[in-house]
Amino acid sequence: MDRAFRTLVERTFGDLLTGPVRQRHDETEMRIRPGDVPQVMRTLHDDPALRFEYLGDLAGVDTGDDFQVVYHLYSVVTPDWLRVVADGIPRDQPRIPSITFLWKGAEWMEREAYDMFGLVFEGNRDLRRIYMPDDFVSFPLRKDFHLPDDASRSPGGGVRPMEDAATPADAAATTVRRSATAP
Amino acid sequence: MTTPTRPSLDDPSLTIPLEHAGIFEPIPLARTERQQEFYALKDGEMLLNMGPQHPSTHGVLRVVLKISDEQVVDLDPVLGYLHRGVEKIAENSDFHHIISQLDPLEYVSSLFCEWSPVMSFEKLLDVQVPRRAEYIRVLTGELNRIASHMLFLGWYALDLGGITPILWSFAERDEIVEMLAAITGAKLLFNYFRIGGVNGDLNHEFMSRLGDWMSRAGAQLDAGMGLLNANEIFVRRARGLGVLDRETALRMCTTGPNLRASGVPFDIRRAHPYSVYPELDFEIPTRSEGDSLARYLLRMDEVRQSLRIIDQCLHQMPDGPVMARLPRLLRPRPGRAYSAVEGPRGQYSCYAMSDGTDQPFRLRIHDPSFLHLQLVGLLMPGNLIADTMAIMASLDPVMGGVDK
Repeated sequence: MDRAFRTLVERTFGDLLTGPVRQRHDETEMRIRPGDVPQVMRTLHDDPALRFEYLGDLAGVDTGDDFQVVYHLYSVVTPDWLRVVADGIPRDQPRIPSITFLWKGAEWMEREAYDMFGLVFEGNRDLRRIYMPDDFVSFPLRKDFHLPDDASRSPGGGVRPMEDAATPADAAATTVRRSATAP
Repeated sequence: MTTPTRPSLDDPSLTIPLEHAGIFEPIPLARTERQQEFYALKDGEMLLNMGPQHPSTHGVLRVVLKISDEQVVDLDPVLGYLHRGVEKIAENSDFHHIISQLDPLEYVSSLFCEWSPVMSFEKLLDVQVPRRAEYIRVLTGELNRIASHMLFLGWYALDLGGITPILWSFAERDEIVEMLAAITGAKLLFNYFRIGGVNGDLNHEFMSRLGDWMSRAGAQLDAGMGLLNANEIFVRRARGLGVLDRETALRMCTTGPNLRASGVPFDIRRAHPYSVYPELDFEIPTRSEGDSLARYLLRMDEVRQSLRIIDQCLHQMPDGPVMARLPRLLRPRPGRAYSAVEGPRGQYSCYAMSDGTDQPFRLRIHDPSFLHLQLVGLLMPGNLIADTMAIMASLDPVMGGVDK
């Protein structure tokens, strides 16, 4: 944990942070609003005191209520991974600005998040499905997407049985929410 | 009697309308700006389909090439043929169960696919891994790295038309997978790392095979590389092909040998040390050319460094347990953990979220091949069709990891 880095982040971003900067193991986490992503990312990338030149990962998350997009960044100024969580993306309007203007490589990662969660990255010029076929209509990694698979009833499904598939096939699907709030 | 005349090629009744000229019929509906640009064919351009069963696409990959004569103007990779939704599977299996599901991702170097999720679960659980287990992880991981680079050497030569190197490199690779099979029981999908350690200690067969191999490995590997390093046909073909500069490499989120061949000394083993790498002495080879040849030579330099690491592991390995004491049913406290390891292709990382149950709330797998395949679209334009595979192979993507 890099305590000095934490104060640097708090000082640099101030009001843009929506929650406390948290640290655990070798990670520093900051939370921001989705609309502030381009501004925060540009500061992280360009500020000579921060120099986060390297985007480690971009992940979509469905918390059950709303969506998050989680970025992991690396810089030479700190031994920690920086995790930027843009949370509170509403389910009915899942829109967030794209970061392809800084990292062109994020284009496919955003396509993947779109494919799996239906997150719309505004500014990504190639936002279409990447794994699923073009005519697929649902978003498989959302928590309300059931595994349409007999595997959910097999004994090999782990200590606890896997997520119940809706049986019979035409029964009304109920939303599975494993936790009310994001962990 | 009149002699039959050849029909003129300019006869309008004989020309094929443009919309039927390509293999794609109808040309798919453009949904995005980029697709619109790609499918708008200029005069003299046509679409050519490559794959998904093309032998040198290293898996099941379809690439739509836009060509003008012999030159590739643009290309659009089509993924998803191996997609099995491993992240969804992981959300529905318990923590121990996940490890075996992650093996087939990067089947060429599956220990690294296990390593980063296992590390992130250990962070969630605050488990201290025994030092012997860490050394075994590094030892087996470096062996797997050599095996993977040997496969790269063979494949790359094969893609450029050389048959012999794959026979040589597979002799070495086979020796390594036999060794790993002695402790893990499998030759490809090892399923060896466990949360809190590894599954079983080193055994006699492994040690005797390893000792035997280490005594001749350096010379054997040099002989294998000697087939290519001084081969004029190979060197002249690969030099200056698919040049990737430093800025573009960073902008495209490139990692691993492909990034280091472009002059960025970024290796997670040093940049963000994990396991026992801080205790080991090795170098990070870097090259500045950024072309296919540099990427090939850099991987071969890495093999030598890996041999150094294996040697040190064998000398420094402490005695002790290889598993931490953990309950069978793992319920980490709610939290998030991210971990990254340096694999033979670049950064394998994993973002795990726990909500207090025995299954992860979300498990994000990040694979380097995915981003390196994206890079192909940037490096290809302007090159010949025959060089598509030469460039793609030099980036060394594995489709199992790309498609997840």
